[in-house]
Amino acid sequence: MDGSTQQPAQPTVAKARHSGSLTGDPLFKALAMATGIGVLLVLGVIIAVMAIGGIPAFKAFGPGFLFSAVWNPVTQHFGAAAPVFGTLASSALGLLIAVPLAFGTAFWLTALAPPALSSVIGMAVQLLAAVPSIIFGMWGFFVLVPPMAHYVQPTARHLFGHIPGLSALVAGAPFGTGLLTAGLILAIMIMPSITAVMRDVFVSMPAVLRESAYGLGATRWEVMRQVVLPWSRQGVVGGIVLGMGRAMGETMAVTFVIGDSNHIGWSLFAPSNTIASLIALEFPESPAGSLKLASLMALGAILMAISFITLWCSRMLLARGEAQAGKR
Amino acid sequence: MASSPPASSLSVSGKSRSRALQRKAMDRLATVLSWCATFLVVFVLGSILWTLLKNGLPGLTAALFTRSMGAPGQGGGLANAIVGSILQTGLAILLGAPAGLMTGIYLAEYGSHSRLARAVRFVSDMLLSAPSILIGLFIYMALVAPLGHFSGFAGSVALAILAMPIMVRTTEDMLRLVPLSMREAGIALGAPKWRVILFICVRAARGGIITGVLLAIARVAGETAPLLFTSLGNSEWSLDMRRPMASLPVAIYQYAGSAYQDWMQQAWTGALLVTLGVLIINIVVRIGIRGGRT
Amino acid sequence: MNGEAASGTMQAGASGTPQVDEAARPLAIQVRNLDFYYGKTRALHNISLDFPERSVTGMIGPSGCGKSTLLRILNRMYDLYPGQRATGEVLYDGQNILAPGVDLNLLRSRIGMVFQKPTPFPMSIYDNIAFGIRLHERVSRSEMDGRVEDALRRVALWAEVKDRLQASATAMSGGQQQRLCIARTIATRPEIILLDEPTSALDPVSTARIEELLDELKGDFTIAIVTHNMQQAARCADQVAFFYLGELVEVDSTARMFTTPRESRTQDYITGRFG
Repeated sequence: MDGSTQQPAQPTVAKARHSGSLTGDPLFKALAMATGIGVLLVLGVIIAVMAIGGIPAFKAFGPGFLFSAVWNPVTQHFGAAAPVFGTLASSALGLLIAVPLAFGTAFWLTALAPPALSSVIGMAVQLLAAVPSIIFGMWGFFVLVPPMAHYVQPTARHLFGHIPGLSALVAGAPFGTGLLTAGLILAIMIMPSITAVMRDVFVSMPAVLRESAYGLGATRWEVMRQVVLPWSRQGVVGGIVLGMGRAMGETMAVTFVIGDSNHIGWSLFAPSNTIASLIALEFPESPAGSLKLASLMALGAILMAISFITLWCSRMLLARGEAQAGKR
Repeated sequence: MASSPPASSLSVSGKSRSRALQRKAMDRLATVLSWCATFLVVFVLGSILWTLLKNGLPGLTAALFTRSMGAPGQGGGLANAIVGSILQTGLAILLGAPAGLMTGIYLAEYGSHSRLARAVRFVSDMLLSAPSILIGLFIYMALVAPLGHFSGFAGSVALAILAMPIMVRTTEDMLRLVPLSMREAGIALGAPKWRVILFICVRAARGGIITGVLLAIARVAGETAPLLFTSLGNSEWSLDMRRPMASLPVAIYQYAGSAYQDWMQQAWTGALLVTLGVLIINIVVRIGIRGGRT
Repeated sequence: MNGEAASGTMQAGASGTPQVDEAARPLAIQVRNLDFYYGKTRALHNISLDFPERSVTGMIGPSGCGKSTLLRILNRMYDLYPGQRATGEVLYDGQNILAPGVDLNLLRSRIGMVFQKPTPFPMSIYDNIAFGIRLHERVSRSEMDGRVEDALRRVALWAEVKDRLQASATAMSGGQQQRLCIARTIATRPEIILLDEPTSALDPVSTARIEELLDELKGDFTIAIVTHNMQQAARCADQVAFFYLGELVEVDSTARMFTTPRESRTQDYITGRFG
């Protein structure tokens, strides 16, 4: 290079150019990484605060805290069994109702609906997911609870009340609030997200598979039942578990309709409580440093652990489902 | 079907005909049930909207927006709760969105498949579906108890923790959609990587990132549980973030459980406002996404 | 340098006949014994090739032959991807650019690149051009206006866009976008321009305009162009290099390459028997 090149290519100009990149790049990368690590820390601190806050409760009651169904502020006796039972039972009921609904809707959206309608209804389902949970609580309390009290429970008692084994399920006064109502509300709340996951995994199946099944003369239901569902099993289960995680942590909607009673029993109509609803209702009456507050924190730690585990499971299942989809 | 045993030709054809009918019936049944499920879901959404409109519209008066909350029968409004919600949501987005954006940038552009990035991604997803009441409890222990008082600021921090993972997710997803060729073109001009990311990639993904911000707003604006123990609620007019602050969802919670006619009315109207706001944002976002794709 | 150039046209394992017409020019880039690896896969084998100053070097060969890989070594684009590495020497301005410690941003400002598909940035036409200039120089507003206009005029785009400089660049036609990308590249005043199949995504009219443009630009810039299109190589290039399976089979002046290639593989390729 003899440097005789004229404008626009002048090496001297080129060399005089500033390059501020030498510090910018590492700095920016460090900043981005630091915020990422910050996210890790936030969760770490949340878990630490819950666990440390709950230590006095575990110290006072030992492992019995987990198995005691007592929640008595007067005698300062607290146990986790009832709210844990309520959390699991209401979520299980919610899933039992939500999964068939979600599956039916996803089937309709992907296989049955006219395209124009499919996108509109798909959007409506997603909007349902966006409604704030307190609205579900109000709606549940004012719209769902009265018919539960006046029609559903009396009918259920009339039908099953004298059948041994089933009578326990329908026992209790007809308040309208209770496990089943909470399960219904939870079902409505988690159903959209389960539907969304199902629709996505159903749609992600290669069209060739679907077409070849139709080509063999299979009906739409047979294609769904025997081709699509087995193919997307893991993704579907992952979506269901994800919904379960949501249900267990839900607070406001459940607080309105569960009836708030520290109670373990068979009846679907008995008032009960969940970890989240108990925290929401009892926290204002728990002075700092009290054993009650420590017990609530310990319950929070348990809820954190439960939702951590379910989330981890759902991620594993969804990731495995995706890997499988990639392989085929 | 393959499992049916071979038999005389006549009985096979008879069997296969009944089998065909059975299959068709099964398909019909599944179809009908599926229609029912979808109808039920739409019906519930309709019922929620109808209930809100029916109970909420009558309370939609000017006083609602001009007066602060008051004792039952004194003709209070929700002005302080509305402003409180806007302030707390706004500050939450100001805190949470940049943090989420940077984390999303880290995941998409730097960490990618490193172990740290995988951990961050997982934890961010955890936070995305962590029970929101626990976030409130955490902020109470971490901010409210040490400082000795409830505050709008604490509420904002709790909401920011909820908003951040939404931003992380959308930012990462959107940056991954930016074609590699765009990055290469920037690099080929001699641009340092951070400039390529900030001024080209983020810019190319800005539609999606704005979507993320809107979804985050919609998500946190309706949250009640994390505010119960952080900003607490306040029936007075107050713009001071260092003091307890009212918010629409907490006001609804307070009023909906009461026995007073006018409080109930305001709870419904507040619920209508929150829901309409959240749904309108969602509709705008979803229509925007569809418009952008085509 | 010139003496080196004469002997520098050796090829990997091929005959060492020197090229005559281009040898007289000073060399912009000299590639010496270059090997390239994607992880463990070796993609280039012992490449040595000279790029004479202010002329067009065309690089041809079937898909996967390594021609684009070589191009992306010249501005160290491969650095973006872990696991890719080059050994050997690429001499530019008296320096081996493969050596550690080279300021890559500066290097890339002096060796510009235009890609297969147009890559307008998601900003206005004006800002697309200004983006590259601002990276390396501080210029006043009025000077920037002048530089932008200059660049757009050189690619014959000024008349078409001068009234909508603030419009989004992504709304332009494909051919316009590609010319914009060329304008963006020359606006930073590089010495060398690398083009990676710049017309493969364009219609014939736009292609013709780009080819005309190359002819004008080679008065000021050294140009290396990878192309699939044999006619394009014949029309635009001063010298042509033929790659096959990661090796440089043959390099010669365009005229000789297309009339009397020395290698039978070259003959087969340019007459369309494979690739």
